[in-house]
Amino acid sequence: MPQQVPRLIAVFVVALAALIGARMALVPDTFGDLGHYRAAAVDSITAHPKKYAGHAECSLCHGPIAEQRLTSNHRTVTCEVCHGPAAQHTTAPMDIKPTAPRERGLCPLCHSYNPSRPTGFPQIDEVAHNPLTPCITCHDPHAPEPPEVPEECSACHGQIARQKAVSHHTNLQCTVCHEAREEHKVNPRANRPSKPVQRSFCGVCHAQDDLSGERIPQIDLRSHGEPYMCWQCHYPHRPESG
Amino acid sequence: MQGFIYPNEFELHWGLLVVLYPYITGLVAGAFILASLERVFNVKEVQPTYRLALLTALAFLLVAPLPLLAHLGHPERSYEIFLTPNRQSAMAMFGFVYAWYLAVVLLLEIWFDYRQDMVLWARQSTGLKKWVYYALALGSTDLSEKALKFDDSAGRWITVIGIPSAFLLHGYVGFIFGSIKANPWWSSVLMPVVFLFSAMVSGIALVLVLYMITTMFRWRRIDMACLDKLAQFLFYAMVVDFSLEMLDFIHRLYESEESIEILGQMIESRLFISLIVLQIFMGSVVPLVALGLVSPGLRKGGFVRVPPELKQFVYFTAAVLVQIGIFSIRWNVVIGGQLFSKSLRGLTVYKVELLGLEGLAMTIGLLALPFVILWVLVKLLPPWQSDEEVAPA
Ligand code: HEC
Ligand code: HEC
Ligand code: HEC
Ligand code: HEC
Ligand code: HEC
Ligand code: HEC
Ligand code: HEC
Ligand code: HEC
Repeated sequence: MPQQVPRLIAVFVVALAALIGARMALVPDTFGDLGHYRAAAVDSITAHPKKYAGHAECSLCHGPIAEQRLTSNHRTVTCEVCHGPAAQHTTAPMDIKPTAPRERGLCPLCHSYNPSRPTGFPQIDEVAHNPLTPCITCHDPHAPEPPEVPEECSACHGQIARQKAVSHHTNLQCTVCHEAREEHKVNPRANRPSKPVQRSFCGVCHAQDDLSGERIPQIDLRSHGEPYMCWQCHYPHRPESG
Repeated sequence: MQGFIYPNEFELHWGLLVVLYPYITGLVAGAFILASLERVFNVKEVQPTYRLALLTALAFLLVAPLPLLAHLGHPERSYEIFLTPNRQSAMAMFGFVYAWYLAVVLLLEIWFDYRQDMVLWARQSTGLKKWVYYALALGSTDLSEKALKFDDSAGRWITVIGIPSAFLLHGYVGFIFGSIKANPWWSSVLMPVVFLFSAMVSGIALVLVLYMITTMFRWRRIDMACLDKLAQFLFYAMVVDFSLEMLDFIHRLYESEESIEILGQMIESRLFISLIVLQIFMGSVVPLVALGLVSPGLRKGGFVRVPPELKQFVYFTAAVLVQIGIFSIRWNVVIGGQLFSKSLRGLTVYKVELLGLEGLAMTIGLLALPFVILWVLVKLLPPWQSDEEVAPA
């Protein structure tokens, strides 16, 4: 056998032995029992001390605030999101008190403008919106509402309004297609405006035999795009883009 | 950002470092494949670059995982990929692809090729250096004809295994992207193949540039036959690569899936510079035309006969343009795949940060590192033939 072979084999054997040794020494015992992870991790996690109490606990002693929150715009934001983990506070309320975020820093985490937030989510420009004053001077953190109800739909639906403004539908008011009661502007999710549900709705202006002006491009309602809804192909707020 | 995007698409998760990673592995695979061509098909002309190509591949291979480690952010945990292999995940198997290629292919091939020299160097030098070479040769000092013959045939066998391994290494990177079926920009069976040929292009171009630079700095004459051959290979690889890319492109256009519109918008706006200008025009068309005219790729001696100095300049410029083009390909694949929304209704933007673990400075550092390693390797294991003629001063 050439001299090289045993030496190379030795190197590979050492490397392989190191790998096997490292596996025996470093891979935890319960690894792979349940899946591609250390099964005992589940136990060690459950053994961690509890840090969060959950909002149901808070209502035992802070009844009024809890009730207020449940019907407010912040009903989906639980207490400890703002006050921090408070499990210890529930067992020794007088000795350990949670912090209350009275500065401007917290609220913008959720409310500063970010284009990827869902349409209609209340967003502000942190720099321009009443600067230097803490948010809670004007908004109640447990039942927030804008002190004045905005007039324009674009205050909350800026994205849609901007799209529509440069589209062929620019001259159509939002209310042509959506019936929105005034309460929608105060409590939007509880009072949803209507949305068109039938193809014939668009046909009022676009069908060949309608009575609207000839300036509007027209289609044969019976055959065009059947059987789909118009807005499955045309984005209604910018119809030419679909 | 424009149009509609989902909340988790606003920020790109794979940044500049993930662009760097396929770029570097491509250089590794390409340089190695070039070396293998020489060895397996016995192309005598490119002999002077054989060892340089191997060392280049090694230097870049050592750096290849670093961008990923910096991107993932916990380098101290990286060894776990070997200890608890997850066979369900292509990404998790990377460690093994890498280890196989490094240890079984590249190091072994270099070792067999250099063993004779290392033994000779160990005999010639004194002190610490002697022991370094002795250790590197694993103390295997047998220089009998039989032993040298064994080196040679073992090296050849490893090269034969090495070619599919290099294909695996870079094909794997293309596979990672090509198999993401939710992303219309990536999901394509052609992806591994395109990656592979672009790897060959970039590897050959890199070796060409390195060969010219190192020869110049050693005040030797550039071997024109070698350079011509390299340029010829580069030209052929580019023709195949470019055709594959265009095939992919036409295929997408003809297929016209619902994503075509947003992808078209993306190419026209976000990727215009990097795809149309850098990748296609500067990185492919210009070098292809230049090499087609000057190199012996299409006609012996080239269509246009130019003095060797000008020819060298054309080759050098073409090779540098190719590097820029290939880097743009990686950019367009990695960044492009994340710029459009899965709603197919909007585009986001990517801003490169300067400092930080995933910033520009880190990228430049990681790009420079292989050259430092290569410098050390070249000092330790000089890849030049000793009988090369000395250029007139
Ligand atoms: C066992 C009754 C009890 C429970 C349960 C309880 N608290 Fe309290 N909490 C108190 C008492 C008592 C005070 C002190 C009132 C005072 O200082 O006037 C207090 C004060 C607070 C304060 C005011 C701290 C300050 O700096 O003014 C906050 C905030 C608070 N609790 C949040 C919570 C939250 C959040 C929970 C649920 C995880 C919770 N509490 C559960 C009894 C309770
Ligand atoms: C959006 C963030 C937010 C949420 C959610 C929230 N709080 Fe508060 N909470 C605050 C802020 C800010 C203050 C300080 C108000 C002040 O100083 O006027 C505060 C003050 C308090 C206080 C001190 C007494 C007071 O009224 O000044 C108590 C008690 C309290 N919160 C309990 C709760 C409980 C219980 C819940 C859940 C039902 C809850 N909070 C949910 C932000 C929040
Ligand atoms: C964890 C995220 C979160 C934090 C922190 C938060 N909010 Fe909110 N906020 C919400 C959600 C969710 C809504 C309900 C939006 C909806 O109905 O679409 C809301 C609604 C509001 C509204 C009602 C706006 C409207 O037009 O109806 C105001 C005002 C408001 N928050 C102010 C605040 C203030 C002030 C703070 C800081 C004390 C704060 N928010 C902290 C999530 C948050
Ligand atoms: C000086 C009083 C004042 C302060 C301070 C203030 N706001 Fe407002 N906020 C208003 C008024 C008035 C409106 C309604 C008119 C408007 O949209 O500007 C409003 C509206 C809002 C809305 C609803 C916007 C929408 O489009 O639905 C949110 C959310 C909001 N504020 C959050 C905040 C946050 C977060 C802070 C702290 C960073 C803050 N506000 C500070 C007065 C204030
Ligand atoms: C105070 C902020 C606010 C104002 C002002 C406002 N909206 Fe909304 N709107 C919302 C919120 C929040 C939603 C819920 C979005 C969601 O659930 O995704 C919503 C939802 C809607 C929806 C969709 C309902 C559905 O079922 O999906 C329509 C349509 C709508 N608004 C139209 C209007 C019109 C038209 C106006 C002007 C007359 C208007 N909105 C003014 C906040 C507002
Ligand atoms: C040409 C008729 C038309 C006009 C004008 C119009 N919408 Fe709509 N809008 C629709 C239709 C149709 C849908 C339902 C789309 C669907 O169900 O997918 C819709 C859906 C919505 C939704 C639900 C969320 C979404 O993006 O799908 C909101 C919010 C909304 N419109 C707000 C507005 C606002 C605000 C305006 C004015 C700036 C406006 N719309 C103008 C036709 C219209
Ligand atoms: C109140 C009448 C009216 C209604 C209702 C209406 N549209 Fe329109 N639509 C118009 C007008 C006016 C134009 C602009 C014509 C022009 O370009 O000047 C237009 C333009 C369009 C275009 C652009 C055609 C082109 O030139 O590319 C499309 C598509 C369209 N509408 C689709 C719809 C859909 C879908 C609906 C139902 C959600 C709808 N429209 C409801 C009046 C209406
Ligand atoms: C299956 C998809 C689909 C559906 C559903 C659909 N459309 Fe279209 N629509 C198109 C396409 C594609 C075009 C462009 C065709 C062309 O330019 O010839 C178009 C064109 C139009 C135009 C412009 C015609 C012109 O002369 O410029 C109008 C107006 C229009 N559609 C209205 C509607 C209305 C109203 C509905 C619902 C009754 C509807 N569409 C449903 C796909 C669809």
